[in-house]
Amino acid sequence: MTSKAKWLAASLAILAAAGFGLSDWFHRMTFPRPARVDVIIKTNTMEFWQVLVDGVHVAAEEFKVDVRVNGPRTEADVDGQIAMVEDAIRGRPDAIVLAATDFDRLVPVARKIVDRGIKLIILDSGINADIAHSTVQTDNVAAGNKAGKVMQEYLQGPAKIAIISFVKNAASLLDREKGVREVLEGDPRIVRLDTYSVDGSEQNAYAKVMEILRNDPGVTGVIGLNEGTTVGAGRAISELGLKDRVTLVGFDNSLQEIKFLEEGVLKATVIQRPFSMGYLSIKTAAEVISGKKVPRTIDTGSLVITRRNMYEEENQKLLFPFVNG
Amino acid sequence: MARLRLRFRSIQTHMALAFTFLILITILAMSVASYYLTKEAVKSNVQVYTAELVNQVNNNIRAYVNGMKDMADLAAGSYVIQNFLSVRQFADAAEENYYKEIISDFLGSMMVSRTDISSVSIFGYNGQFVSGRKDLELNPNIDPTSLGWYQNARNAAGQHVISPPHVQPVFKDRYPWVVSLSLELAARDGTKLGVLLIDLNFSVLNDMLREIRLGPRGYLFIVDWAGNIVYHPQQQLIYSNLKTEMIDRVLETENGIFTGEQDGGRRMYIVKDSGFGWKIVGVAYENELVGNQRRIQLSVFLLGIVCIVIAVALSLVLSRRIIQPIKRLQLSMQEVEKGNFDIHAPVSGTFETSKLAHAFNIMVGKIRELMWQIVQDQEQKRKSELNALQAQINPHFLYNTLDSIIWMAESNRNREVVQMTSALAKLFRASISKGEELVPVGTEIVHIENYLKIQKMRYKDKLDYHIDVDDAVKHYQTIKVILQPIVENAIYHGIKKKKGPGLITITAREEETDLILQVSDNGIGMDKETLRALLEPAPAGREGRGVGVRNVHERLQLYFGKSYGLSFESTPGEGTTAYIRFPKIPSVAGGETA
Repeated sequence: MTSKAKWLAASLAILAAAGFGLSDWFHRMTFPRPARVDVIIKTNTMEFWQVLVDGVHVAAEEFKVDVRVNGPRTEADVDGQIAMVEDAIRGRPDAIVLAATDFDRLVPVARKIVDRGIKLIILDSGINADIAHSTVQTDNVAAGNKAGKVMQEYLQGPAKIAIISFVKNAASLLDREKGVREVLEGDPRIVRLDTYSVDGSEQNAYAKVMEILRNDPGVTGVIGLNEGTTVGAGRAISELGLKDRVTLVGFDNSLQEIKFLEEGVLKATVIQRPFSMGYLSIKTAAEVISGKKVPRTIDTGSLVITRRNMYEEENQKLLFPFVNG
Repeated sequence: MARLRLRFRSIQTHMALAFTFLILITILAMSVASYYLTKEAVKSNVQVYTAELVNQVNNNIRAYVNGMKDMADLAAGSYVIQNFLSVRQFADAAEENYYKEIISDFLGSMMVSRTDISSVSIFGYNGQFVSGRKDLELNPNIDPTSLGWYQNARNAAGQHVISPPHVQPVFKDRYPWVVSLSLELAARDGTKLGVLLIDLNFSVLNDMLREIRLGPRGYLFIVDWAGNIVYHPQQQLIYSNLKTEMIDRVLETENGIFTGEQDGGRRMYIVKDSGFGWKIVGVAYENELVGNQRRIQLSVFLLGIVCIVIAVALSLVLSRRIIQPIKRLQLSMQEVEKGNFDIHAPVSGTFETSKLAHAFNIMVGKIRELMWQIVQDQEQKRKSELNALQAQINPHFLYNTLDSIIWMAESNRNREVVQMTSALAKLFRASISKGEELVPVGTEIVHIENYLKIQKMRYKDKLDYHIDVDDAVKHYQTIKVILQPIVENAIYHGIKKKKGPGLITITAREEETDLILQVSDNGIGMDKETLRALLEPAPAGREGRGVGVRNVHERLQLYFGKSYGLSFESTPGEGTTAYIRFPKIPSVAGGETA
């Protein structure tokens, strides 16, 4: 009788334990913990990144991901970004989406991400190591090609072209420069093609272009590799009244750039799809976390906007983004 | 392996399987039924709800658009505006500014308390520009006449033109997203004067529409008559080709509902025509309608597991209750197999098994009784045979016979000596069987013939006998020494006491299944009392008359059953007839007949 009671008690205990286990499992299966993704962008002050973060949030809602977006105040603050990545690693998220401010200096911390078993998605700007699960970015070489080709259309006679780069070692800018050079270096009309770096400041870009244009009247083309350099160069050209002599081709779109486009100071700007970029980075991260196979690189494309096509319906949406909030 | 198969065929397994199967089927059927019922119910609910929501949104948008139209009509009918635009040349700048001031105030007053309206302006065909907002300047880099709303108004011949949402670049330093209503202004005489522009802040619509949620992922979007997307919460994704909508089917649908498969999920589209060229479309994801599909699946799965566990446990308990008594019964049976009949299976458990146990107990009891009977019978048989043997070699008979032989020899009656000795020899030979219990009737006849021959020689004329048995019955089997005790009885108790010669007749009568040997004598006979006592068991230890006869009767009954044996008929003073009844058992050549 006692052994029977013991058996009964034991089986009841096992049943209860199994019940609790099952209900716990059931709870976790039916209310899956959302994946946590840390997004570390280059800077949170520019419109390009605000639109990108919009895409991040839309995707986060759609794919049920908890996202935390962080970024240094300026793109030049590489140390700040490294510290943010370190901080993110300590939080042990499921994935980190990183837009690297520096091609080389972010490599060790990126390795650390992968070593900790956290999925790494590279966004917009890559690093000098092939360790990311996927890279979501504009094909910047192709975008550079497009800028180079627009410049070619405006070229007359022997020309000197200045390429203005924002920071020295960001992959996106390096690729754009490479793309521009691929097109223009073979052109016999071009006598000089120099690249200037302005340390991540629009003001520096403005000053540098002023200096270049003042010193050398032979410079007839300026290519700004991002928003800051394009606006800086535009201000200089506008101020010097040289919009007919100097062809400015830029990248990205800000209100100032649009005004320059309307005024004719900026002949063309190559724009990316930051919303798609942000959206796809989270979608890809969610897929990597759930174990799906994803492409190694995802190109979100780029397109050339000129004064003529800027108010076409599809371009409006890209040029004048509806930043939520 | 065999053990496993045995287990597989056990009642327990059968019951567990049956229960599991039953439960699974039930759960499956019920969950499928309830799933589909809920799905249908929820679906129709959502349809009603969504349609209502779409209607409401439609009404809201119409209110905005109608407000704009009213404003446009008010402005178009304004004599001041018509006059201002008709004037070719003002007298001076002061007059022009005066007009402008009045018109600007007029347009501005329409905008008061209308935060949804971003601007109201007129563009004269002669280059005049007046806005209701005095802070607005024209964008020097943009030619208004090149813009869509301007051109469409010119082409619409006095009709209101509603544009899709767009960026309005016409004002300096401002790039607002607006929905424009434009209208060509004309004088009373029909002269075309200019274009009126009313811009509605798109953010008003955007904010209103963005808040609308149809389920966790459902949403609302708007297309115009040409299929251009007016509003979509994920417009960016659509322009980036990351998402598609079934615009064609939306355009085909006037007002109504359709479902379609796209981007990994069935979606329900609820379309409502707004009446001014836009279509409002509610989109709901079908798989989201029924709560959490995964949750339902999991609950069914979990419920199934719990039920199966219960089923297995239940069948274990149940079959245990059924099987346990059967097992106990089986153990008892094993005991019986080993030869232990002193066993009583416990009568417990279910009704059926207790009945079974009860029947088993009765059966075992019966067997035990029969076994005891057999043992008893065997013992009896042995005793009877011993008795029969004793009867056969009755020492008195032998002594008397040998005495007669001696006496005859002394009287030199050699021939008689030879006859008697030969008869004695034949008698013994006939009684010597090879240890078999059964002998042919013929042998028994030979035996009795020789016995009677000897007795006849001894009793001379006092005894006569007649044997009349057909050869046809002589091959039937019977037990040994059945006639001698009866004949002996007839001689000693019937004929010997009678005056005058006696006759013993032995005949055989065949019945359908039995053979009856008759031994009749014409002796003194017996009264009823003697007759009745003849076959009754003798009081122990008393040797007397009829011991041999009774022995024959007992042996016949032991061998052949209660319906066989001896019976007598007797009339005192006239004689007695004994009937020996036994079944006809044909002798098997060389074989034994049990």
